Amino acid sequence: MTTPATRSVPLVETTGPGESRPPMELADLSVMIGGQGGDGTLTVSDLLGRYFLRRGLYVYTSRNVLSRIRGGHADASVRASRDPIAAVKSQVDLLVAFDSEAAEMGRAELAPHGFIVYDSTTFHLDLPNSAGFPFATLVGGPLGQPIFKNTAAYGAVSVLLGFDAEMTREVIQERFRRRGGEALEKNLKALEIGRNAALEAGGMANRYSVAAGDAHDQILTTGNQAVALGFVVGGGRFFAGYPITPATEIMEYLQRYLPPLGGVVRQAEDELAAINMVIGASYAGARVLTSTSGPGLGLMTEGIGHAATAEVPVVVADCQRVGPSTGQPTRNEQSDLAHLAHLGHGDFPRFIVAPSTPEDCFELTIEALNLAERWRVPVILLLDQALCQNTATSRRFDLSKVEIDRGKRITAETAATLAHYKVYEFTDDGVSPFAPPGTPGLWSEVTGNEHDEWGHVSVNPANRVRQMKKRMEKMVKARDELPPARLFGPSDAKIGFLGFGGTSGPILEAMRLMEKRGIPTRYFQARTLYPVPVHELDPFLKSVEVAYVVEQNYSGQFARLIREALPWHYEKLRSVLKYDGYPFRAPQILAEVRELANAFRAPPILPDGPEVVDG
Amino acid sequence: MTQSAKPVAPIWCPGCGDFSVLAAVKRAAANVGIPVYELVLVGGIGCSGSIHNFIEVNGLHALHGRLLAQAVGVKLSNPSLTVVAAGGDGDGYAIGMGHFMHAFKKNASILYIVMNNETYGLTKGQASPTSQIGFEGNVEPPFHAVLAALSIPAPNFIARTFSGDPKGMTAILEEALRFNREGRGFAFVEDLSPCVTYNDTYKLWREKVLDVSKLPDYDPTNRNTMFRLVYEALDQGRVPIGVMHRPKESGPNGLEQKLVGAHPGPAQADIGLSANLGAYQKLIGSLA
Repeated sequence: MTTPATRSVPLVETTGPGESRPPMELADLSVMIGGQGGDGTLTVSDLLGRYFLRRGLYVYTSRNVLSRIRGGHADASVRASRDPIAAVKSQVDLLVAFDSEAAEMGRAELAPHGFIVYDSTTFHLDLPNSAGFPFATLVGGPLGQPIFKNTAAYGAVSVLLGFDAEMTREVIQERFRRRGGEALEKNLKALEIGRNAALEAGGMANRYSVAAGDAHDQILTTGNQAVALGFVVGGGRFFAGYPITPATEIMEYLQRYLPPLGGVVRQAEDELAAINMVIGASYAGARVLTSTSGPGLGLMTEGIGHAATAEVPVVVADCQRVGPSTGQPTRNEQSDLAHLAHLGHGDFPRFIVAPSTPEDCFELTIEALNLAERWRVPVILLLDQALCQNTATSRRFDLSKVEIDRGKRITAETAATLAHYKVYEFTDDGVSPFAPPGTPGLWSEVTGNEHDEWGHVSVNPANRVRQMKKRMEKMVKARDELPPARLFGPSDAKIGFLGFGGTSGPILEAMRLMEKRGIPTRYFQARTLYPVPVHELDPFLKSVEVAYVVEQNYSGQFARLIREALPWHYEKLRSVLKYDGYPFRAPQILAEVRELANAFRAPPILPDGPEVVDG
Repeated sequence: MTQSAKPVAPIWCPGCGDFSVLAAVKRAAANVGIPVYELVLVGGIGCSGSIHNFIEVNGLHALHGRLLAQAVGVKLSNPSLTVVAAGGDGDGYAIGMGHFMHAFKKNASILYIVMNNETYGLTKGQASPTSQIGFEGNVEPPFHAVLAALSIPAPNFIARTFSGDPKGMTAILEEALRFNREGRGFAFVEDLSPCVTYNDTYKLWREKVLDVSKLPDYDPTNRNTMFRLVYEALDQGRVPIGVMHRPKESGPNGLEQKLVGAHPGPAQADIGLSANLGAYQKLIGSLA
């Protein structure tokens, strides 16, 4: 290894204060890492996230990548806080830039006290509060490849943030253990190179610090991984899907998890095949899932209607992205809701459930499997890109709470006691007992044609009406079994928020900011979106004077559903919308609320004043 | 004994070629000895796709063009079932073409019967993918499913039958069902099944059918040979029938054999929490 004295490039270019100074204590820290796709920005955010998790902090990491394999600007951010957070912070405290474009873009979001660490191999920044290290050159010599520059940058950042050296190494070991030997060895070396560069530069150590938190026994995971685990634990054993951003990871995790348990994962030729393969597999008696995003959902629509009419249980995870058409595949939106609520030709029942955290994803996936089999109705698990792909701290998944309800399933033992087997038998709850093919002595006709109780094609008008009611009324009869909403904030607050899925994190954070200003608010986090939970929404809307429906689409799809179902609350609803492809940040919600309140001449709830920033 | 769904009377026109298929399927299943409750018949949309209503069987009536996807799902979910998919040429070669070609590649051990009448009968006689040039103004050359099937190098069983020869058809369906039940892979049988109302080809096909097994070079294990024999027959204005591919490979090459192996399959798996607790704890424990 070359010594610093013989390097042809300066070890550090810094225009910031070089003298030793006390660290700036932050209760809530945001680090942004930017560069070209392939620079390893996601790895740096992952490493930092793992470190903060070990320190008992709540962690949220997000990514901003383009739909291409390599190249193009990419950035990732990691946020750590002593408070529960599940949103991007409004400003960046520390920026790590691998190229000048990343430095330019990141500067726009940098806090006044912020600092930039950059790779000075290819560019130079003439800015105060910045330090350049030639990471690519520093690692390129001793390790033979510049690709380890990201781990060196992690090392430099660990010095700036006053990380414990041993814990910093443990994180590398944890991250690269699976890749083994050489990869682990080289990353550990890169870490030391980065740390030494920062330590030798002087004035870098302990610029910022985040006190350890008490969020222990947390895990750091994505919604997609949580859905995959929920599916496995919920007894799911058959998955078919087609690769599509941002849903693909569900299939990839299941390709790892399911085969050892005797399960089957198929990458189908298209989404038409995927939905129909899961229909066949469910009909044969397995618990099934397919996952997709907007364009694939369009192709699956006919199949979902078929499943509802044939009364074959299916669960479809819709990982929403920006639509319509190809839209923005890697960006966030919640704009499939209107389509899903009114999905398909003809009238048929469906349940739409929406989790908001990884833990919720795990639990609601299991719940969706139970609901689908219990009611023999398609269940849509509605997710959004940020929830699917961003990592968030979550309570460890609790296996002791897991229950498996297979509904009215006829088994080989119970089959022998039946006088007859009518696959669409009329019953009080509209659900007919079902025997999968292979059950000794029984067979049936399962069809998407209108049918009589035996499954025979029927055009009899009286039978048509009875079968329609049998299916449609499941949405009424299942009401008390559908996932209940979660309510946050004091029950006497007069300002309400309504939302679902990935907007919950920013909404809860906005509520804390308002609380600090003495304005109490309530939040109705819907977990069943369809059928619209009128029985839950009505008392909530009665309790508030104004309700802000926060959602990520152009037309206020959730607000429209609520207005359609509860027209008597029409006037109370205000839409807070965002459709630029990026998730909400808490201050943006506050700013919108203030503007809306003024526009509608509602009593001012927030004084006009300087732009709200994180407290 | 539990009363299950009883077959209803066929909706087909008197003389329809599909009657021969119905009779042959019943006879072949009985000869192979498949219990009714273990037999699944997945129907497509069209006259022929309603076949599952006319026989004691587990019937699954799929969406138009999607019967193969559903049938593969059934088989992978419970490999102990015998799964037959049956539909028409429009269902299989037009709206369902994507799944048709992939079915050979997938090679799940199911039997797919296409009742080819070279028209859309149920919607009253439009041109289909297999219609001859000139039929109902058709200007596109007909699709030939056997040639397409032979183009995919997978150990599939491929055959063509004629509703005017029910005995020959029964023998071929029996062989196909045994092939499936040995887990060897996908069996495709195209039956030439005339539509007596919109495209009555009985007379023409009776004159033109050519049993390829009678040809001197016949070797169903050799795709090259069979491709040439079929092409030469077509060039001579003949209608080739018979076993077109009988793979040399005799092992369990079916997709379900590769995926499920010694496990009972997704539908039969014990999904109770207690049976899997150790595995689940390990998975959840692996999270950071």
